[in-house]
Amino acid sequence: MDGNGTSQILVRLRDVLRDSAVEERDWDAVAPETTIESLGFDSLTILDVLYDVEEEFGIALEPKQVVKTRTVGEIIGLLQQHGA
Amino acid sequence: MAFHLRVIHLLEYWAARLLLLGVDLLPPAAASRWAGWLGSLWWTADRPRRRVAISNILRAGVAGDPAAARAIGRAAARHMGTVLVESLKSALVLDDPDRVRVRIPDDVQAVLEDPDQGLIVVSGHFGNWELAGQWLSRYKPVAGISRPMNNPRVQELALSRRPRHGFRMIPKYDPDPGRFIKLLGDGEILALLVDQHARQGLDVPFFGHPAKTHTTAAMLHLVTRAPLCFATCRRAAPMTFELTLSPLIERQRSGERNADVEAILLALNGLLEEAIRRDPDQYLWGHRRWRRRTE
Repeated sequence: MDGNGTSQILVRLRDVLRDSAVEERDWDAVAPETTIESLGFDSLTILDVLYDVEEEFGIALEPKQVVKTRTVGEIIGLLQQHGA
Repeated sequence: MAFHLRVIHLLEYWAARLLLLGVDLLPPAAASRWAGWLGSLWWTADRPRRRVAISNILRAGVAGDPAAARAIGRAAARHMGTVLVESLKSALVLDDPDRVRVRIPDDVQAVLEDPDQGLIVVSGHFGNWELAGQWLSRYKPVAGISRPMNNPRVQELALSRRPRHGFRMIPKYDPDPGRFIKLLGDGEILALLVDQHARQGLDVPFFGHPAKTHTTAAMLHLVTRAPLCFATCRRAAPMTFELTLSPLIERQRSGERNADVEAILLALNGLLEEAIRRDPDQYLWGHRRWRRRTE
C-alpha cells in the first residue's frame, strides 16, 4: 500500500465522515487502525456515509465487501482496489 | 421498572391472552367480527387517539367534515381489530389461492424468482401489511423491520404466535449497522413500513403536508442498488385480499443525497396516498404522522 496515497485518502475520508456523520467527534483523530465499530454508526448513518464516500471518490463499492471491513485502514484498502 | 408500569404490563398481557383465547376458540368469521367489535370499543374508549385519527383524516382530505371523518375512523378501528385476527389465522388465507388475488409486474416477478437478488419492499399501515410479507416469503426469506412493543410480555406473546414460514421480524435497532445490507446481499426481502413519524427523517409531503419520513428504504436502494417496490394488501372481502406490487421504483444517483432520497420518498408516499384514498377505512389513522418539530 502506498503510504502517501493512503494518507491522502485518509484525509478525504475524514472530511466525508465529518460531513456525513450526525455525531460530533474528533474526526482528525481517525487513523487507519481505528475500528469502524468505534465510529458509532447505526444502520442508517452507515448508508449516508457509504453514499458520500462513493460520491467523493467517484467509485461504486460492493456493499457486502464494505460491511465485512473492520477498520478504517481496510476501507482505505477497498478504495484503493477500486482505483481511488 | 416502576411498580405501576409492571402492573399495567401484566394487565395488558392477560388482556392479550384473553383476546387470543377468543381468536382460537371462535371460527374465523366470528373471530373477525369479535375483533372488529373490540376495535370499535377501543375507538370509543381511547379519546386521545380518536382525536388524533379524526384530525389526521380531515387533514388528509379524505373526509369532508368531522362526522364523515368519525365514520371513517371507527371503520378503520374495526379494520385494525380484524387485521390482528387475520394475521393470527393467516394460514387459512395463505393456503387458499382464492383468498389472495396477486398482481405482480414482470420486473418484480423476475427479481422474486432470482435467488441472488435482494428486494426492498415498502408499505404502510394499510390493509393487512403483515399478510403481504408472509405471502411474499414463498419466494424468498422476508425480514420485516419492527419497533419493539413497549410491553415486553405482549411482545414475546405476539412473536410466539406469529406464523413463521419464511417471514420473520427483526428489530429496528441493533448493534450491527451492516445487517440490512448483508440481508439484501444474501438475496432476501427486506420489508419496511414508511409511514411512521421519523424524528431524524426527511420532510416529505404526505397528503400535501410535510411529514418527517424514514429514509432507510431509499438509502438502501441508492447504496446497495437493490431493487425497490411498493406493496399493498387491501381487504377485498372478509379473509380475502388483493396483494398489489408496484413496478420497480428506480432512481439514478444525482450526487445530491437528499434530493435522491426525497424523489424516492415522494414516489412511495404517492403510492400509499393512492391506496388510502381508495380505502380510507383500511388505514391506521391514530398515529401522529404530522408532528410538530418540537414533539
